[in-house]
Amino acid sequence: MKGLLMQQDGAAGDLPLDRRRFLVSAAVVGGGMALGIGRGGAATGAGGKPVTGPWGPDAAQGSEFSPWIEIAPDDIVTIRVPQPEIGNGAMTQAAMTVTEELECDWAKVRVAFASIQRNHIEKGVYNVGFQGFFGGHSTEPDRMAHVLQLGASARERLKAAAAARWSVPVADISVKNSVLTHAGSGRTLRYGEVATEAARIVLPAEPARKPRSEWRLIGKSSPSKLNIPDIAHGRATYGIDVKLPGMVHAALMQSPVQGGKLKSHKPEAVLKMPGVRAVIVLDPAKTRGVPAGTKQAATFGFGDCQVQSAVAVIADHYWQARTALEALPVEWDAGSGAQWTDSAKIYAAASELRGKDGARTVKKAGDVATATGKRVVEGDYGTPYCENAMMEPLNATVLVTADGAEAWVPTQDQQQAYWTVIDETGLSPEKVKVHQTFVGGGFGRRTQADDVRMAVAIAKEFPGKPVKTIWTREETFRQGRYRTPITTQYKAVLDDATGLPQMIMGDVAYVGTRPSFMLPLGFSDQPYFNSGIIPNVRLTSANLPITILNGAWRAPCYNSHAFNLETFIDECAVAAGIDPLDYRLKLLAKWDKAWSDTLRVAAEKAGWGAKLPKGEGLGIAISCWPVANMHNNGSVIATVARVSVSQQGELRVRQVDVAFDCGSVANADAVRAQVEGGTMYGLNACLNEEMTVKDGAMVEGNFDEYPMMHMADAPVLNVHFEALSGHERMAIIGEAPTGPIQPAVGNAIFAATGKRLRRTPFRTQDLSWS
Amino acid sequence: MAPVRFRVNGKPLSVDADPSTPLLWVLRDHLGMTGTKFGCGIAQCGACTVHLNGDAVRSCQVPLESIADASVTTIEALATNGGAHLQQLWAELNVPQCGYCQAGMLMAAADLLKKTPKPTDEDIDGAMTNICRCGTYPRVRAAIHRAAEKAA
Repeated sequence: MKGLLMQQDGAAGDLPLDRRRFLVSAAVVGGGMALGIGRGGAATGAGGKPVTGPWGPDAAQGSEFSPWIEIAPDDIVTIRVPQPEIGNGAMTQAAMTVTEELECDWAKVRVAFASIQRNHIEKGVYNVGFQGFFGGHSTEPDRMAHVLQLGASARERLKAAAAARWSVPVADISVKNSVLTHAGSGRTLRYGEVATEAARIVLPAEPARKPRSEWRLIGKSSPSKLNIPDIAHGRATYGIDVKLPGMVHAALMQSPVQGGKLKSHKPEAVLKMPGVRAVIVLDPAKTRGVPAGTKQAATFGFGDCQVQSAVAVIADHYWQARTALEALPVEWDAGSGAQWTDSAKIYAAASELRGKDGARTVKKAGDVATATGKRVVEGDYGTPYCENAMMEPLNATVLVTADGAEAWVPTQDQQQAYWTVIDETGLSPEKVKVHQTFVGGGFGRRTQADDVRMAVAIAKEFPGKPVKTIWTREETFRQGRYRTPITTQYKAVLDDATGLPQMIMGDVAYVGTRPSFMLPLGFSDQPYFNSGIIPNVRLTSANLPITILNGAWRAPCYNSHAFNLETFIDECAVAAGIDPLDYRLKLLAKWDKAWSDTLRVAAEKAGWGAKLPKGEGLGIAISCWPVANMHNNGSVIATVARVSVSQQGELRVRQVDVAFDCGSVANADAVRAQVEGGTMYGLNACLNEEMTVKDGAMVEGNFDEYPMMHMADAPVLNVHFEALSGHERMAIIGEAPTGPIQPAVGNAIFAATGKRLRRTPFRTQDLSWS
Repeated sequence: MAPVRFRVNGKPLSVDADPSTPLLWVLRDHLGMTGTKFGCGIAQCGACTVHLNGDAVRSCQVPLESIADASVTTIEALATNGGAHLQQLWAELNVPQCGYCQAGMLMAAADLLKKTPKPTDEDIDGAMTNICRCGTYPRVRAAIHRAAEKAA
């Protein structure tokens, strides 16, 4: 650690003194990054001192009760949170959880991002529960229990310190809003006044946590996200906003055909342009690898996180770098990806594999060959490549020296980013620091750290200076890690008496995804196939390997399976002559009541059953993320869409009603916001989104070619809590709504026009009727 | 080219850079004011919205050479330029999710309310063409209506 910092001071000799002081304080404590988040006031760190960036002063400024909790003399409680803040309020939720047991004043709570380096050095102090540094899991039960316990422990140590100061029994002391009160005398002390001595106290035994029935904050209160005042005043620091002394800027161009190689370029053509410092060639052969003897712990491994063949220009200012890069003569060897001359060729090749010898059976019940019935329903359903299109373009800022590296990144997973920096530089984990910034949208795109990888690869060619690399919007779009295209051929034979399927066959083709990411969620885990209601089932999966790179796209794979399956089920209902709501209720009769409840609530609120004129329609769908074949699990979402379609085929989504069951909610308004957001995300996908391929490269580069809904397009969006079961889980909620909205809209279009849409996006299809 | 003189948030400034440099990058890179965001670079998303001589504009399309003697207001000074109540409502109604587009949303909303103090839904649809990927449109709409009610 010391070696790294000495070296940095030596190598980056032009860094001003305050920067060096920052590094030295980091060396002394090696601790967390206090990110000051005010409640309407100026950004302040623990102890009320101003901070300079999201990583802030790297030293504890008050008394640490645990790596998670620090209390300053002025009562400010700083809570260090491992997961990022990607817009879902995970950071605020962590603060609520601590506050529940600590009984501190909410107005004095601040949140900071925990340090992954500290986690490594202190052997996993933050890595508690499922994927500790990954976004979104703030109500994961193991982590919640741990954090509640830390809060309870700190509270009891504060009480013990006050008891010692007053020489009274601990039992006579009560706490409220960061104040300790002695029952007999009425004397009081603030938390900050006894924090120093309290932090040194070791309790003989861990205190019991409150029973859940006594929670006063979790599930009872809905505070707004703590970082909103900073957002609303332009103070919140996203990755793209990082400023460091001596920083230079890089613009990046990767092989337009993924998997291609740089053939030639002429750096001399741009090196004399204003501000240009260097032209850099990026090559996967330059990756140094995790040091021998070190076991890497990257959350997702490095399979989707390799250096791509690329060139970059470094300049004093970003606009100079970008202008020079655009002027740089470059030739590429497209490689084998060029065989994919258009999207249709890809999807046709994938569809060929469905149900064939190479396909894997993922679910089998009974014998599909034995089913008999007069009504057979068949269809071919699919969703295309889509881009995450988060509003903050990809970027990262990295300083590499001969003996150390630091990265400032808007990552969705600090742990993945950390090990990627280690792998790219070959440095030992103790010499690498990652600083979590705010994240301007993730939706899965910032999980694999391929963005971090490229920025490190650039910075290591320009050592001693912090290099901020910013992808253009076009580079962000065309160098994505895309939504996996998924097509499914479904077939059902309906029972002559009941109309329900006697058998269902479903053959899926994924395009270009790694086997571990062929997620069957929303497909083979659905209760339709697991409750025993359909006696004969056979589901298979196949995959077409391809050069185009895939990744996580909000609720990976599920978001496609939900569209394919719930559109097909709707077709079965129509063929059976049964109302689509009633049909689903019959199909779910042997499963958790919560599923039926969500359907009923969404339908009732939407006015299901009303007689509508032609050109207007209601559509319904249901699904559950992350895993549907376990009882009382995940977030079940039922969505009803109401659409109108003009005779000319102009579609308008008028209203959307969503009912859900995630068990219980910790912060009702945060849950509501995620249901709204996930629904809008899926809505845009089904209406508008498709990345197309030409000669192996992605065509669409910006929002003029890849449309986004605007305010004027947004439907009335109602989120209903009446179907909540009250089960004790507080399941993650951001992904689930992305699924059912898509088939709900498609099914509504069928109800309005009689046109069945088996592919997204709907924008490109003829919806006219007469 | 000689340095270009203009005002940002009331402060007179002079910037010496390539005249084609967009105001967005002048603000972010040359002046270190990162509240104004880069989203698309082609005036589609509105994340870079600032007020130029009192009107909302997309700063990615405004070259440095065009703003001599102009007056620019950014999100950093919205609070002192009539936007404090909007910023307060953004927190009360828990409007932002990731928040990245919200500086532009607020600048556009402030411009709308200045020109149309009691906007209808149609007025909002027409003026608020910023892109939000998190799906905050219903809350942005609600916050604008609330701001109009409070001002009335």
